[in-house]
Amino acid sequence: MSISQLLAQYGEEYLAALLTTWKLTAICFLAAFVIGILITVMRVSPIRPLRIFAELYVQIFRNIPGASLLILLVYALPYLNILLSYFICVTIAASLIPAAFCSEYLMAGINTIAPGQIEAARSLGMTFSQTIRRVVIPQALRSSVLPLTNLLTATMLTTALASQVPMNPLDLAGLVSHINTHAVGGVMAFLISAALYCATAVVIGQIGTRIDQKVRILR
Amino acid sequence: MNETREPIISLRHVDKHFGALHVLKAINLDVYKGEVVVVIGPSGSGKSTLCRTINRLETIDSGEILFEGKPLPLEGKELAALRSHIGMVFQSFNLFAHMSILDNVTLGPVDVLHTPKKEAREEARRLLDRVGVLSQESKVPAQLSGGQQQRAAIARSLAMHPKVMLFDEPTSALDPEMIGEVLDVMTTLAADGMTMVVVTHEMNFARRVASRVIFMDSGSIVEEAAPDAFFTNPRTERARSFLQSIHGH
Repeated sequence: MSISQLLAQYGEEYLAALLTTWKLTAICFLAAFVIGILITVMRVSPIRPLRIFAELYVQIFRNIPGASLLILLVYALPYLNILLSYFICVTIAASLIPAAFCSEYLMAGINTIAPGQIEAARSLGMTFSQTIRRVVIPQALRSSVLPLTNLLTATMLTTALASQVPMNPLDLAGLVSHINTHAVGGVMAFLISAALYCATAVVIGQIGTRIDQKVRILR
Repeated sequence: MNETREPIISLRHVDKHFGALHVLKAINLDVYKGEVVVVIGPSGSGKSTLCRTINRLETIDSGEILFEGKPLPLEGKELAALRSHIGMVFQSFNLFAHMSILDNVTLGPVDVLHTPKKEAREEARRLLDRVGVLSQESKVPAQLSGGQQQRAAIARSLAMHPKVMLFDEPTSALDPEMIGEVLDVMTTLAADGMTMVVVTHEMNFARRVASRVIFMDSGSIVEEAAPDAFFTNPRTERARSFLQSIHGH
């Protein structure tokens, strides 16, 4: 089928799939962001077991392939009598992995903070958690806008894992499989999805650059 | 000094090592309310470390440090509360890079002392005015000169209403033409009765402002004297050669 035929026949499905991909991306990135911050706070905390747990988390989820994690969630969890919907399985897989990277970027951001500022905060009488909330995390976030922007794009691409399970509703990658099982969309069906991924990524990149220019810390 | 009064800071037989290096050797030092104790000595003599042990930014190996007669607490909320009474001014200013100058000054009062925001701002502006950087209040630290940053850092400390202020080489990172403006602020503070411990290489400041001069070398307090006596007639050979080496250039 040509692109115009595909769009005529599946235009609405593509639109719905794009929205599903956006929704998945938003949920997963938000979850990854929150988990990433928590893991990062654990990594710099004075409590050793928390640090060990957080380091393990990062080592495991930074290095596990997304497909393997998804297979584990879909096929292994039922043996533990945990039965999750495909949508939830995809969401978990596409959140836990970016969370590890999120923490790596935040740690890099933390390393840009002069240690003297931490001493200044402690000298003012700020507790560990106040120092983390008011001095460390805000600066780490502001200096990792660009890596986090890339992470958002990477998270979107990770959500394409959804095509590996019969998730309903279909995301962009899943729709391609769907079209190619029910008709002969061929490479063109891929191209349309790819173009939509690309377009989204470009917009994300633009927004990220703007935000970075606004919040970047003068040094 | 009035011997019956209790010192506000008291170091008793304090020892500290950095690995094999014995940086503080059996240090005994009392600081009384209203005093300006200036600590001088060659680099590596332990004077900065001494200053940093007073609010426990550096821990000690043995001995005892008392603040208002009570030993410094271990890490945790109690120590944080105590630190809020001890102002600290650093060599490298250490203003919070992501905040405006005004927010730098209000952060401590609002978060630690729970001062209402509006009140904290008014007070911060008063203090920034006092140190002469009020016009910079909405800029971030990197937009200020070193001297302005250090004066803002002093205002940040003052906003906590500290009982003592520690100055750890406050002018060592400054261009020469900015040293004077910072020392002026410190001189005014001293005249207002602030209790201060000042680690510095500024001998004229020490001579003019100090109530007492502490001379350190290789981790020990070698000499302790009134500034006039110390600068005109040092008792020890080490202090004499140190002063000569400074006046030599």
